Amino acid sequence: MWSYPAFLVSGLPWTLSVTAGAFAIGALIGLPVMLAEESTFAPLRLIARTYVNLVRAVPPIVWLFIVYFGVGSDLLRLTPFGAAVIGLGLISSAHLAEIYRGGMISVGKGQREAASALNLGPVYGFIDVMAPQAVRVALPPSAGYAIGLLKDSAISSAIGVPELTERANEAAQATLTGLPVYVALAAIYILMSVPVAWLARAVDTRLRAKVAR
Amino acid sequence: MSDHADSAPSTAAGGPRPIRHTNAAPLIRLEGVSKHYGDLVAVDGVDLSVHPGQVLAVIGPSGSGKSTLLRCINYLERPESGRITVGDIRLDAGTPPSRAELSVLRRRVGMVFQSFNLFPHLTVLQNVSLAQRRVLGRNREDAERRSADLLATVGLADKAHQYPSRCSGGQQQRIAIARALALEPSVMLFDEPTSSLDPELGLEVLTVMRDLAKAGMTMIIVTHEMHFAEDVSNEVVVMANGRIVEHGPSRELMRNPKQERTRRFLSAVLNR
Repeated sequence: MWSYPAFLVSGLPWTLSVTAGAFAIGALIGLPVMLAEESTFAPLRLIARTYVNLVRAVPPIVWLFIVYFGVGSDLLRLTPFGAAVIGLGLISSAHLAEIYRGGMISVGKGQREAASALNLGPVYGFIDVMAPQAVRVALPPSAGYAIGLLKDSAISSAIGVPELTERANEAAQATLTGLPVYVALAAIYILMSVPVAWLARAVDTRLRAKVAR
Repeated sequence: MSDHADSAPSTAAGGPRPIRHTNAAPLIRLEGVSKHYGDLVAVDGVDLSVHPGQVLAVIGPSGSGKSTLLRCINYLERPESGRITVGDIRLDAGTPPSRAELSVLRRRVGMVFQSFNLFPHLTVLQNVSLAQRRVLGRNREDAERRSADLLATVGLADKAHQYPSRCSGGQQQRIAIARALALEPSVMLFDEPTSSLDPELGLEVLTVMRDLAKAGMTMIIVTHEMHFAEDVSNEVVVMANGRIVEHGPSRELMRNPKQERTRRFLSAVLNR
């Protein structure tokens, strides 16, 4: 007999890697997407907004199929893991761009004007004035998004990434006992989400305490 | 063109400081400056000259275009027509300014806002130092030394390491003045600097501004403080409906306004 809990847990590194990889890609690409959305150059704005709307209009699992079976088999050789990270990464970039944008909007016109009047220019105005304040506002929803992504990484089981949910499916089929396996699976997701939420709240509280407005 | 800058100011004892540079070229010249928001004409063909060392108060009812006019001078608002000259830089409203032109303009023009607009995530010292480092290219040590001096001039040396949120409104506005002075501007614009302060805190800001005027800084002040306008400025401009309705030496204009519109405004404000 093989013990399914150990087998289940062997999916954990995959779940964490898909989540971390996709979030990193999203956090990185989300920034230029947000800047393009806020650009004064209309065509760039149009492209960025179209990208965001397009990405968000299609279910994540469909994007994974497009990346893995479409792009992956015809154009590039992609492993299931690579396809999952890229697919979920692009989806994250659209959502995080919107979260960043909300952060920027929250900073307020007066700050932008003060930066302009001090001749900081667009680059330092962003780096020194806008971004540090926007980050504080964008942090809690970004952490919330990371938790969502951790759960959404389950769909990468559909293209064969050996992560938690995929392992659970296999274990359930092998043992012919679905309920305990899937309850254990749910417990693992809960155990992972709670520390992230807790950490985000701690960081947020610290930042707020520093600059009580 | 306005030629009021050359007219003789009141020299009564205790009156406004006489203009010392009567023959100097104007430091700031606005020619036919207009700004619209859709159908609303905020500023309507304003001509105005300000000479070095002059302190000009801009008064008038709300919505008369005072703040918009002020904000056109450093291009926070881009005028639709007219021409703005500050020192040897001249911007035509018809052509969009280059980054370089805008940069030169803004280095010459310091601005203080009604709502202070200090950077809340930076300490007081960092607020005053930031532009020195980024714009003037000073190293941290030089910038902070200069900032400490400026904070001492506005009486806030002890607040250097606090965050703005720990300072009163009056202190925040004095920090904002120090921050604008840090770029060594040739003119300072004040957009209702005391309007969001209670009278006592407003007074400490006005004291700093009075010292600045005495030191010879060229200043344009949009204000509702009539006594301050009369005391500190050597000239007053009255605006209504986006236009200048009267322009003259402070004391004379405040005591014997020539225009009916000015009389109406002054009696409304002074009899409140």
